[in-house]
Amino acid sequence: MTHRGYRRLGDAAVPGVILIAFVAGWEAVVALGWVRPIQVPPPSRIVASALELALDGFPAGTLLGEHVGITFLRILTGYALALALAMPLGLLIGSNRTLDAATAPIVTFCRSVATLSLLPLAVVWFGVGEASKVFLIGYGCFWVMLSNTIAAIKLVDPVLISAARTMDTPPAHIFFKVALPAALPRMVAGARVALGVGFMVIVGAEMIGTTRGLGALIMEARTFYRSDITVVGMFVIGAIGLALSWGLTCAEAWLLPWERRQQERDP
Amino acid sequence: MRPRARLSERLAGMLSVIVMLTIWELASRFGWQDPQILPAPSEALLAAARLLGPWDLAQHVGISLFRILAGFGLAAVVGVSLGIVLGWSPLAARCLRPFVEVLRPIPPLAWLPLAIIWFGLGEPSKVFVIFLGAFFPIFTSAWRGMTMVSPTLIRAAQTMDVDGARLLWQVAIPATLPDIAAGLRVGFGLAFGILVAAELIAAKSGMGYLIMEARQLGQLGIAIFGIFLIGVVNLVADHQLARAVRATVGRWSNV
Amino acid sequence: MTKPVRLDNPVIEIVDVSKRYQTEGATAVNVLDHINLSIRENEFVVLLGRSGCGKTTLLNVIAGLTPVSEGEVRVNGERVAGPGKGKGMVFQQNALFPWLTAKRNIAFAAINRGLTRKLADNLASDLLNLVDLAGAGDKYPFELSGGMQQRVAIARALALDPKILLMDEPFGALDELTRNEMQDELLRVWSARRKTLVFVTHSIWEGLMLADRVIVMSPRPGQILLERRIELPRPRSRTDLTLLATYDEIWAALDHKTLTAMPARKAAS
Repeated sequence: MTHRGYRRLGDAAVPGVILIAFVAGWEAVVALGWVRPIQVPPPSRIVASALELALDGFPAGTLLGEHVGITFLRILTGYALALALAMPLGLLIGSNRTLDAATAPIVTFCRSVATLSLLPLAVVWFGVGEASKVFLIGYGCFWVMLSNTIAAIKLVDPVLISAARTMDTPPAHIFFKVALPAALPRMVAGARVALGVGFMVIVGAEMIGTTRGLGALIMEARTFYRSDITVVGMFVIGAIGLALSWGLTCAEAWLLPWERRQQERDP
Repeated sequence: MRPRARLSERLAGMLSVIVMLTIWELASRFGWQDPQILPAPSEALLAAARLLGPWDLAQHVGISLFRILAGFGLAAVVGVSLGIVLGWSPLAARCLRPFVEVLRPIPPLAWLPLAIIWFGLGEPSKVFVIFLGAFFPIFTSAWRGMTMVSPTLIRAAQTMDVDGARLLWQVAIPATLPDIAAGLRVGFGLAFGILVAAELIAAKSGMGYLIMEARQLGQLGIAIFGIFLIGVVNLVADHQLARAVRATVGRWSNV
Repeated sequence: MTKPVRLDNPVIEIVDVSKRYQTEGATAVNVLDHINLSIRENEFVVLLGRSGCGKTTLLNVIAGLTPVSEGEVRVNGERVAGPGKGKGMVFQQNALFPWLTAKRNIAFAAINRGLTRKLADNLASDLLNLVDLAGAGDKYPFELSGGMQQRVAIARALALDPKILLMDEPFGALDELTRNEMQDELLRVWSARRKTLVFVTHSIWEGLMLADRVIVMSPRPGQILLERRIELPRPRSRTDLTLLATYDEIWAALDHKTLTAMPARKAAS
């Protein structure tokens, strides 16, 4: 290996070594009795519980896969609905100055309403089933996506529009072939934020009044003092979040081939 | 500087709000929709005035504010400090980065059950979760800001014999302040959402709890009042934070 | 490669300096190749050439911001080991601290070399007067125009009471009219506070307007192409035709050296 090759290996190894050392230390600390396993489950226990969850299920036989699936379904449904409504509406509002001014206070306010605070109302309106959860996710994602879309179309560089007009572009084309593609990057960024919001909402929404779904899983686990399952649930939730984010990045690459992603060093 | 909205635009905004509230009110009054499902705004206010003593209300709002200030304050101190340290020292960054990357994807609310196991059902568990919610945006923006300080500024300082600790305190940190300010605002917004969620799920006081309790007692009017209250408090608090930022960092940068 | 010019008491001595950059896989690039140069006290020297010819690297080497691969740089007899220590510098991009007012920016440099706050403030006021910005002391950099920012930057460098002043295309980001004003301004300030000045630019005419001596450099490898002394008294007229000959000389030298792939230019009629 070249000198640089060794250095790259070293760069990758340092975080790996640190994590391994940490995990080993964690296991040791619990084994030595310095911390109670109920407070801090050791890594070995966590792995075992993960298998238990996957194969036997908790609580009452619901498999890990089921929990994941349900959470996924709820998020994606609410998210898709929110985007389908927010994007056309946002584009419309953002293109019209009066409409934008008129709706601005409403949008700002509804965005400030903590989505989960609507949970009790959602239950009254939609019952305790899936609909209330999907509604909450949809609500949270909708307002975020709406305000981001409005901003996206407003911030389109006027130079691009002027250029199109000097080329006798008909108005419909100016909108669909110039303004929309120009607004797309910011809309995708807004979609990313909305996804994060939806994700937060579902975890919270599932903690009340349901026994299926990842949020429910970790809450139920706590009631039974199964902190190991709670930790497994937390990591799975994190992994789901990463998977969703990755999915969005792929969609972004497909939608925006002209955006050359700078290889920023992301902290 | 943001251009101030034209007077006609602001009027249009206020008008639409009034129109919406009126429609809502009338819809409930004239039975276009079931008032059990969605009470009129006037009903909500009346119910709140009747059943909710001002002292009770103040207590709930107060405890919510306490929680968020404690959690956010802690997150600000720890997040900014840690972000600066990791941004300044590549060694520290390399050592701590794996932990950050593993913990960051976990949404703060998902920590709530574990926090309850650790701290019980009292205040610390909620403050902890709020802390986590605000921590990551604040920490990330401080870290990023530090790594992106303009190299020209650093070089200029070096030509003036500034280095080491003085370079950190007198140049790097002031240069990062706009990023830190932005991170603080984002962190606060997130913290607020988590506050409400935590209070809904696992609390016996506070604005979120108020809503939960109202629903259980069938007092939808109070629930709606509570929801609006939360929205208003959030807006006011964010507005104050923005003002504070504009008065300090905003004097010399576009923030 | 030019022969080293022997001066009696040079302030800046660049002795056989080379600077190599090695990128992975590619061959080493000699950004500076055995440069020899001596600059005497209070001389105004302009380093001139296209982008990438090494003039900025040479300036950074003198400033101590970039280490040399070979050779040595001495300022006032002392070997240059790092930045600071009396080597004041003005950059092309905005290097003023955005969180300090103009006056505080200048005072910063003074406080740094040991003055008390009061003395530093007084010095800052003096320097603001010198650069014609008496009323702008309490403004933040973002409130100042590009030309004003650079004037503050010059004042700040002077607040160090530096031995030498280094300027890296300081007027490059300004429009032409402001640039001309700034050139006059710089000469005025320089005649009031004489310093040894090394000034980097890609504008031939700017060099001719300002310099005692113009050093023309060429890239890859970075070498001194030619040196010309400008003996005209200052302030010089921008329409002085006696400078045209020197202009043509420099242009031809640069043109010939850098466009080797193109056919030789026909002589101007």
